Amino acid sequence: MNPNQLNRRAFLSNLGLSLGSAALSGLMARDIGAATPLTASTGLPHLAARAKRVIFLCMAGGPSHLETFDYKPELERLHDQPMPESFTMGQPIAQLQGQQLKAHRPMCSFDRYGASGQEISSWLPYTAKLADDIAIVRSMVTEQINHDPAHTYMNTGTAISGRPSMGAWVNYGLGAESENLPGFVVLTSVGGRNPQPIASRQWSAGFLPSKFQGVQFNSTGDPVHYVRNPAGVSSSQQARLVEAIGKLDGHRNTRLADPEVTTRIAAYEMAFRMQASIPDLMDISDEPQHVLDLYGATPGDGSYASNCLLARRLAERGVRFIHLYHRGWDHHGDLEKYMDVCCRLTDRPTWALVTDLKQRGMLDDTLVIWGGEFGRTPMVQGKGLAAGRDHHIKGFSMWMAGGGIKGGVTHGATDELGYHATRDVVHVRDLHATMLHLLGIQHDRFTFPFQGLDTKLTGVEKARIVKGILA
Amino acid sequence: MCNLLPGEALSSVNRFVPSCHALNLREMNPRHRNFHTPVGRPGTRIGATIRKLLVCCAPLATLPLSGFAAGSAIDFNRDVRPILSDKCFFCHGFDEHERKADLRLDTAEGATAVLEAGDGQQSEFLYRIGTDDEDDLMPPPDSHKSLSPEEIAILEQWLAEGAHYDEPWAYVAPEKTQPTAVSDDAWPANWIDRHVLARLDEEGLSPSPDADPVTLVRRLHFDLIGLPPEPATVGVFLAAFANDPDSAVSDLVDTLLASPHFGERMAAYWFDLVRFADTVGYHGDQDHNISPYRDYVIAAFNGNLPFDQFTREQLAGDLLPGATLDQKIASGYNRLLQTSHEGGIQAKEYNAIYAADRVRNLSAVWMGATVGCAQCHDHKYDPYSIKDHYALAAFFADIHDTGYTGNAVPTQRPPEILVLSPEDQQQFDALTREIEALIPQKTQAKVQKLEAKATRLGKQREQLVQAAKGEKENAIAPPAAPPSTNDTEQDAPSSADKLAALDARITANASALQTTASAATRAEWRRLLTKRAAIEKRGRKTMITVAKPPREMRILPRGNWQDDSGEIVQPAVPAFLPQIVTDADSRPPDEAGKGTEPVPPRRATRLDLANWLCDPDQGIGGLTARVMANRFWYLCFGTGISRSLADFGGQGEPPANPALLDALAVEFLDSGWDVKALMRLLVTSRAYRQSSIATPEMLGRDPHNQLVDRQSRYRLPAEMIRDSALAISGLLVRDIGGRSVRPYQPAGYYRHLNFPKRTYDADEGDEQWRRGVYVHWQRMFLHPMMRAMDAPSREECTAERARSNTPTAALTLLNDPTFIEAARVFATRILSEGGESTPERLDFAFREALGRPADPTEQQLLTELHDQSQVDFQGDPEDAAEFLAVGRKQVASQGDTVALASWTTVARAILNLSETITRN
Repeated sequence: MNPNQLNRRAFLSNLGLSLGSAALSGLMARDIGAATPLTASTGLPHLAARAKRVIFLCMAGGPSHLETFDYKPELERLHDQPMPESFTMGQPIAQLQGQQLKAHRPMCSFDRYGASGQEISSWLPYTAKLADDIAIVRSMVTEQINHDPAHTYMNTGTAISGRPSMGAWVNYGLGAESENLPGFVVLTSVGGRNPQPIASRQWSAGFLPSKFQGVQFNSTGDPVHYVRNPAGVSSSQQARLVEAIGKLDGHRNTRLADPEVTTRIAAYEMAFRMQASIPDLMDISDEPQHVLDLYGATPGDGSYASNCLLARRLAERGVRFIHLYHRGWDHHGDLEKYMDVCCRLTDRPTWALVTDLKQRGMLDDTLVIWGGEFGRTPMVQGKGLAAGRDHHIKGFSMWMAGGGIKGGVTHGATDELGYHATRDVVHVRDLHATMLHLLGIQHDRFTFPFQGLDTKLTGVEKARIVKGILA
Repeated sequence: MCNLLPGEALSSVNRFVPSCHALNLREMNPRHRNFHTPVGRPGTRIGATIRKLLVCCAPLATLPLSGFAAGSAIDFNRDVRPILSDKCFFCHGFDEHERKADLRLDTAEGATAVLEAGDGQQSEFLYRIGTDDEDDLMPPPDSHKSLSPEEIAILEQWLAEGAHYDEPWAYVAPEKTQPTAVSDDAWPANWIDRHVLARLDEEGLSPSPDADPVTLVRRLHFDLIGLPPEPATVGVFLAAFANDPDSAVSDLVDTLLASPHFGERMAAYWFDLVRFADTVGYHGDQDHNISPYRDYVIAAFNGNLPFDQFTREQLAGDLLPGATLDQKIASGYNRLLQTSHEGGIQAKEYNAIYAADRVRNLSAVWMGATVGCAQCHDHKYDPYSIKDHYALAAFFADIHDTGYTGNAVPTQRPPEILVLSPEDQQQFDALTREIEALIPQKTQAKVQKLEAKATRLGKQREQLVQAAKGEKENAIAPPAAPPSTNDTEQDAPSSADKLAALDARITANASALQTTASAATRAEWRRLLTKRAAIEKRGRKTMITVAKPPREMRILPRGNWQDDSGEIVQPAVPAFLPQIVTDADSRPPDEAGKGTEPVPPRRATRLDLANWLCDPDQGIGGLTARVMANRFWYLCFGTGISRSLADFGGQGEPPANPALLDALAVEFLDSGWDVKALMRLLVTSRAYRQSSIATPEMLGRDPHNQLVDRQSRYRLPAEMIRDSALAISGLLVRDIGGRSVRPYQPAGYYRHLNFPKRTYDADEGDEQWRRGVYVHWQRMFLHPMMRAMDAPSREECTAERARSNTPTAALTLLNDPTFIEAARVFATRILSEGGESTPERLDFAFREALGRPADPTEQQLLTELHDQSQVDFQGDPEDAAEFLAVGRKQVASQGDTVALASWTTVARAILNLSETITRN
């Protein structure tokens, strides 16, 4: 056998990665640990990045495209009539299984806004003000019709558990810009309809090293689990403890020379810095009143408005991927009532976030994405004032704004009943490819070896960049 | 596919397969199923079929015949296959749908044309991998794959040496060999060491010196029972070790293997593999009933249940003749997968999802294979077809799990059985016998019916009486009703008549009841029922498997559950492996051999599958043994001999020491799948006893320690970190088995769960301080401490946990109330048991936590920390009181508040030491 056979193999398997040092240090982190923040590798970005970070505004539950961005007058005509079977035959169906399928007219009015004249629902008056900033995609499709797997699909590109979330991918590829904060932060909001459950799987690092997983920041209670000192322990006491642990570990390591111990000392130091920085970051009461007013945020209320403001603060501090969840959008019934509730809670803060970023010159390099895990059926569920819509995956709407996005564009279309995406269909993997592209990452070169495959966020099917919405 | 006919490859096989694998013409005849039986070891080969398929390593006629010889630099499986697999097989491999240019490079036969060199010409293969012409270059640039100069050099050398193919290593039957010579005959303690040393000799390396006995006693404790040693145990071991190291180790190992905590340690790993958790995992993530399965697994390891039987009981406990309660509980394995109870799920879709999930887990756990990759298409790298995937899934088609929606916690997922403690079970059975003696089973139903009827009639009578009373009052009350002109004509019977009729029915019913069972009998019966119900309430339900008529299983083209165009498949194992035989011979005698009608093969069952997994002759027992031996090695050495603990396919890493892995697999088989014996063998080796201190050269040369020129050091798994803190503090409750427990957890951590909304109530009793293996496993929101220490969600098989080293983990160890409480209780022990002076106390604390005294520097650093902390708390005793109020455990302390608080600070430092949470 050749000398250094194993080392050569280790070397080769590392070379097998499509990434340079990011992947290498990622592997090292998995195998022997590394707490030092990862910075962009020599291999990445592959292209000139248009955006440095992503803020993903997830409207969990699945907002109706037919009451937000996809006006279908034909549904007025067909209201209360049976849905033509040509649309629904053989299609997957969720709660309407075994029921008569009837069309339902749009439950709101639409108008055209901005110089671009984008068509937007009357429920979104603030988003309407952003008409010229956002690119609306009306032709989204996904493959999972139930909430949990649909979120998993939207976040990881597959419905199988154990795969990395897009935030983890981005964090892995580009690293965090901050030494005191994780690169991938998740914020969830209170308020709205009976909220969608959401699993920590949605921000999991999957098979990527754990350090790339999303960290949940809580706008109420402890901002991050175990980030506060134990009761009765002052910051200076905690500092002395961390110092003592570092010295004791360092002393022991003079005999061992274990690089893992060195890493651990650094991790404790960063943990201590996080203890100092995160509570400050999460306390928005130091924002001027006019900013709080812009968002409609009240410090400590855990609302979507507060979280939008926090998202800006996280973005300012170098967090790479910020994932916000508002969990009130599963409108099987009482759609009118709950659209009103949810839009009141989210419309203005969303506008405020984009506006605030713009005013600070940050929108240019921040990609903002708005949407749910799927849309809702043209068919009605329930009756009368209690009418709602079921889950729908064959056509729905999302929008993007900011870094590298052409504002004022409507991309793609669904059929006349808003059932199937028919023009310029954008699959979830296309959304991922486009997002990565804007971050300077070529999606088909961005891989991690798992179960023998060079696994990609965009999966094995061919993904396309949605060129029509690029600036 | 290889079309090699018997005889065609004779010469080549004999030349290219090492002699112990040699075939002859007779052996190639598929009628002789046991044809490859090495002398002295009956049937450890993995099977005939695979050999026929994959040994078709026909030599290239144009290549030199002397190419392959033992000791040659290039080893196909080790050096070449990983390159071909990663860079070529995607388009030129097993999957014929993806195959480009009708060329396959995964078999010698398929590759012949491009590997052959023409007259004085370079072969097509070498041209393609070396050319500058982007149109011709392989792999093509748009694949984003490329060959490094090193890889090209290996391939060139491979061709120069004859371009021979070897069978995929995992599917060759393991053989036990013994290295002929090693450089130092004094070093080996058992035969494992000869293999390790022979491998080190090959590399010109030498083993590390033995670890010091303190390190060794800790290592053995963590590896075998998952707990740190108690100081007294360390003392005894050190004394014995000084006297006779070998017998000291041997005695300690015996003690630890006999400890009931051995089962807990082994089970914790098994649970990662089989994805054992307390909740369903999708959407509402409701609890499901499964904790008795955990007790079963722990007991199985403690009782050293042979691994083949362990396999059978889990996959098919329900199908074993006269299945015992334990075997039924074991069959809960089939119910461990993630399930959804979301409203609006489509049964057909979820049947497909569950089927694929089961195939993924089965193949990962037992076969070290990624058959899940063949859900949509043939496997790209390994010879698993999409049909193989669905045929494996068909074994599980007799398990029905859809149709159980709803938001109950725990959720309803029949079939379930009630499991009682042995004592309760005894009482329960005795009561059942008494009850039956009182009123026979069949009669009980009748009594219940009659009693229910009595109640119903009684209610009716009550209503009737009330109604009559109302009528009467109305009749009396003014204004008087208009006088009736026709009193004799009545449309309905009077109240009195109705009452009389009802009373007659009541009497009849009462009489029937009395005849069936007297009032006294029934009173006694009810008393016994109540008593039995109370016992029942103490029991735990658990999901089990009960076979039902199997669902039709179709191949789903591209994995699409809505596509019914695929072929219907029967349960079958992958086609390239030896097949399960369920012909007439295996049918019961009364069904077999009747008349001249051919007897259709019996549908293969989960039991057949389990037997096949563990049968080294007719099944893939050799592979299963190798997969598990590799994992036991990982548990004792921190890394697998093959690093791919769940992928022995082309994309996995071949073993760094194939002879060692083979020998271990054979040992495991020969021992009758004796897990404790194998673990004993591993931990009593000299290789195991080495120091884990790695020089930078060692780390640079062999970062993952695959050559084993040292032991490995790594952070403990999540459960052991918890258990260590609890054990060191004295808080640990060492009970075995039982329901899941709930440690302290941040408030609101479950706020994202819904359907129904969940609150988390930490256990108030002793359950609070039980071992990590019992911690409630909420798949969607695993306890944040466990998560921070890389415990998996157990949605999928995890054969190897990550070992991260993150600030989140640091925050957890620093601030999680479990660790603060442990530090406080540890401090009370330091004060009460550790002597009077600070140095004495520090030594005591170090011995408790680390098995060694503190050195002068450590003394100094911790004394400073203690003194400063004392000053701080003296300045603010209220802070000290607050600090000491963390955690529910009430322990009287000898010291005052300030003393206890400052020693708690010291205890925190010790619990946070890298050494405390490191296995080295």
